Amino acid sequence: MSALRHYYSVAACFARLAIQRQLEYPLFLFSWLLMIPIQYFSGIWMLKIIVDRFQPLDGWGFPELSFIYGLALLSHGIMVVLFINTWHMDHMVINGAFDRLLLRPMNVFFQLVASYFNFIGLIDLIPGTIIFLYGCHLVGFEWSAANIVKLILVIIGGVLIRASLFIILGTIAFWTKRNASMVGFALAMLERATMYPLGIYPYLIQVLFTFLIPIGFISFYPSAEFLHKANGFQLPSNLAIWTPVIGIVCFLLSQQVFKFGLKNYESSGS
Amino acid sequence: MTKMRILSNLAYRFEVFASVGTNLILMVASIFVWKAAYGGSIGQVDSLNLSDLTTYTVVSILLSSIFVCDVQDTIYSKIREGQIVTDFYRPIPLLACYLADDLGGSLSNLVNKVLPLILFASLFFGVPLPASLTGFLLFIPSCLLSYGILWLLSALVGLIAFWVMELGNMGIVKDSIVRVLSGSIVPLWFFPESVQNVSKFLPFQYTFQTPLGIYIGETGPAAALSSMAVQAVWIGILFLLLAAFWKKTKTKTLIQGG
Repeated sequence: MSALRHYYSVAACFARLAIQRQLEYPLFLFSWLLMIPIQYFSGIWMLKIIVDRFQPLDGWGFPELSFIYGLALLSHGIMVVLFINTWHMDHMVINGAFDRLLLRPMNVFFQLVASYFNFIGLIDLIPGTIIFLYGCHLVGFEWSAANIVKLILVIIGGVLIRASLFIILGTIAFWTKRNASMVGFALAMLERATMYPLGIYPYLIQVLFTFLIPIGFISFYPSAEFLHKANGFQLPSNLAIWTPVIGIVCFLLSQQVFKFGLKNYESSGS
Repeated sequence: MTKMRILSNLAYRFEVFASVGTNLILMVASIFVWKAAYGGSIGQVDSLNLSDLTTYTVVSILLSSIFVCDVQDTIYSKIREGQIVTDFYRPIPLLACYLADDLGGSLSNLVNKVLPLILFASLFFGVPLPASLTGFLLFIPSCLLSYGILWLLSALVGLIAFWVMELGNMGIVKDSIVRVLSGSIVPLWFFPESVQNVSKFLPFQYTFQTPLGIYIGETGPAAALSSMAVQAVWIGILFLLLAAFWKKTKTKTLIQGG
């Protein structure tokens, strides 16, 4: 219990420092405030243009598309707030900041994640929330208690799936010392696979994103279920249960990979 | 030593692979969105069919890999680290120097990023051929003009760093605006009428849509020449703006650190 309290106080202290650091330059914050909404609102706007001009994508009209887009953004936003340091592990390995974490008598992964509470990442949640609520409104989402619980579980699961992917990629930096571009690659993949219905992709890609890298569970399968849409694969039982379960499994797996990487870690010297 | 060398080489190649991979994902995703949008039942929308848009998307992504405009980041990081002083000592115009640097980046990207992308794209979606030979011949100068506009925009944003010290992500803000309004993802022809009208008076659509429209044959030779004239006018305007801004900036330079 006291260990838990200790961890909590450390996390709180880290968070305060991180927030202060991020507010140092006002234009920095301002540029994020401009950039993130522009990016995501224009993304959904372009989908609207396409759907208006053409036809629904694989049976998904604009309301359903904004629902899936918003749901994907929500888990993305929370992941960015909590786990963004997994993107910078190569940096920490190269400049030796990682060695510092190893010296402290605390869980290394906890320190890694807690040392950067990404205050600015909260901005990611603004367009996410707006687009999602708008989507909910358009599709007539039923806000029953059961649905809300399911939604929360799905979002938690989605965050865990995303985080696991980045933890595993970050661990690669222990060997290669460099993986910034891998992060960009993974981000592009996640974005494209979570914001459009998987059904528009060929069968092989659908299999890949369902069974090998379970990105489909972040937003596509849950949305398909909430909106009673057909999806590519007939999966047994409730999909809303699948997402958190897969999230937890992925997360445990990524922890094992991280531990294994840590064993093989050699400092970059200097 | 050997291990370090191999690792750093590997890391470098990793970067190229990952960049090609990222662009490939963008390409594949956009093409499947278009495929879903056409869905077999719609033949043509605004005189464009699916294969036109596939070509459009592929070439658009190739262009975005070629157009290296790192000036804004170069200026920004040089100011942050105070290195801008030593650059000022050099007897050559600073901005020309940065332009040369970016051109070098473009050329190397042409070989190690664009060639593999063309290969992959041809494999999966067929060779993205231009609509006609004249179209192709007009496409090349138009691309150069596009690059001019993009580079000048980038340099202008970079100069802001002299005033504020912390540019943050203003560069990415600009990039996001360019991405939407240049028609690099969704051609502006599909946008609502009002947006199209406004965008005629902005430089953005002349960066991607103009050369791409020429390439796929949507813009005929006569129209192509007139839009290239507009491109040239924009280069003139932006160049004058940059020159004026640059002159003012030089007197105001504040050196941090160093």
